[in-house]
Amino acid sequence: MTTPAGADAPPHDVEEVTKQAQVTRFMPGQPDMWAFVLFETLVITSYFVVYLLFRTQHHELYLQAQADLDLRVGIFNTIALLLSSWAVARCVQASRAGAYRSALTNAVLTIFFGFVFFVSKVLEWVREIRMGNGFTTNEFFQHYFFLTSIHCLHLLIGFVVMGVVVYQLWSPKRRSQELVETGATYWHTVDFLWVLIFALLYVVR
Amino acid sequence: MSVSVAEEVAPLEQPSGSPISRFIWHCRNNPKRELWFAWWTTVVFYNFFTISFFVLSRTQPPANPALDAQGAADWFEKNHYGVLVGFGIMFLVTGMTAPQNALIAYSMRRMSISPAFGYSYLVLYSLSAVPGMLLLCIVLTVGAMRPGRDPELQQWLFDLGFLSYVGTMGVFLVGSIVWMLAILIDKNRVFPKWFGYLNLCNALTEVVVSPAWIFHDGVFAWNGLIAWWIDMVVFGIYTGVFITLLRNMIRREDFGTGALPDLPLKQTLETSGLAEAAS
Repeated sequence: MTTPAGADAPPHDVEEVTKQAQVTRFMPGQPDMWAFVLFETLVITSYFVVYLLFRTQHHELYLQAQADLDLRVGIFNTIALLLSSWAVARCVQASRAGAYRSALTNAVLTIFFGFVFFVSKVLEWVREIRMGNGFTTNEFFQHYFFLTSIHCLHLLIGFVVMGVVVYQLWSPKRRSQELVETGATYWHTVDFLWVLIFALLYVVR
Repeated sequence: MSVSVAEEVAPLEQPSGSPISRFIWHCRNNPKRELWFAWWTTVVFYNFFTISFFVLSRTQPPANPALDAQGAADWFEKNHYGVLVGFGIMFLVTGMTAPQNALIAYSMRRMSISPAFGYSYLVLYSLSAVPGMLLLCIVLTVGAMRPGRDPELQQWLFDLGFLSYVGTMGVFLVGSIVWMLAILIDKNRVFPKWFGYLNLCNALTEVVVSPAWIFHDGVFAWNGLIAWWIDMVVFGIYTGVFITLLRNMIRREDFGTGALPDLPLKQTLETSGLAEAAS
């Protein structure tokens, strides 16, 4: 940008400057969604703080209860959601490049991996309840069921959000890049929150 | 339409004089007087609410749900006058929620969306006040009225009061979602989109209260860290934000049907920014 054609081609230069300014100031999707991400992350982090606080008080109980959780299921969940996040990132890229067919396929893939996560989560809940670990069994499982279900609620809202993305990509009349990116931002948040929950509930022992 | 009305409104210069004469002038001439009345009623109501619930009746933060019958009876004895005076005030001012709900419904009628949103919100929030607030006031007043009553009966009133108050937060949930949807699809820029998303945050914390139906103690009980404290902080922020945004909406209102104009201050800033950029 420093060398160019400045003096002899001013209009071109102005165009370049605007373009560069757009690149440096670029924020994917509506900035408003980022406000949501920040606020919701703060709220969920406060749940984590409460969990860790009580965990330090009854360390033994939490360790024993945690032994009933299957780390492999947690890893499978994480991979499913990471794949969905990867698909939604590809969806945004494709839609930016104007390859709407591929964007649509990736949006559907995102929903599919999200659904795989959801089914495996429900199966895990059923398994835990059959093992006698219900919502009221002990403090660890209170937190386990609470955190996983509040996350699942975010996931279900994510399906609605991805529905909006698919609706946008479907018809050439709509295709708002901003809305596609806003939806992707939300979906990444769902994934990001899961990674934290996975680390806290399954890995930290 | 919006332009012509705005022109009619603009020339009204407020008179200089004593605050009382200016107030009377506004009551007579300000085209936004009903909106300002509703807004100030909201502010006054929340002040009464805070004093009655947090200071006088000591129902916020809620009493311990693990108390036995004697504990509940003692609670009524201890807070006898606080409950009677605090809720006496609440019964006087509960009606002030009506202009508040009307103002929020008005904000939705000003949007480029179906009137069904405003009507749904109005009905939902009018009904929600009954389990969400009034029942607690009535039941705890009944408990405080005869402190010598059988402790078993006092505990029954204690449980009914607090559980109806905290446990029924969900009745507000759909209202928040209606407001959220309205803001997100509105094209008149009545509220910023981030406030739409903040409605979702608030709705989600209302879901979090529901375990209060199961637990007698711990973080999910009706006075728990997660079920009450964190939710209250979110609700406090949400309430402060929507009162501020409603104030901005009234200041921006031009009684038209198109997009709401920006605040005068913001407009000046933007024009000065443009002028600087141009020079």
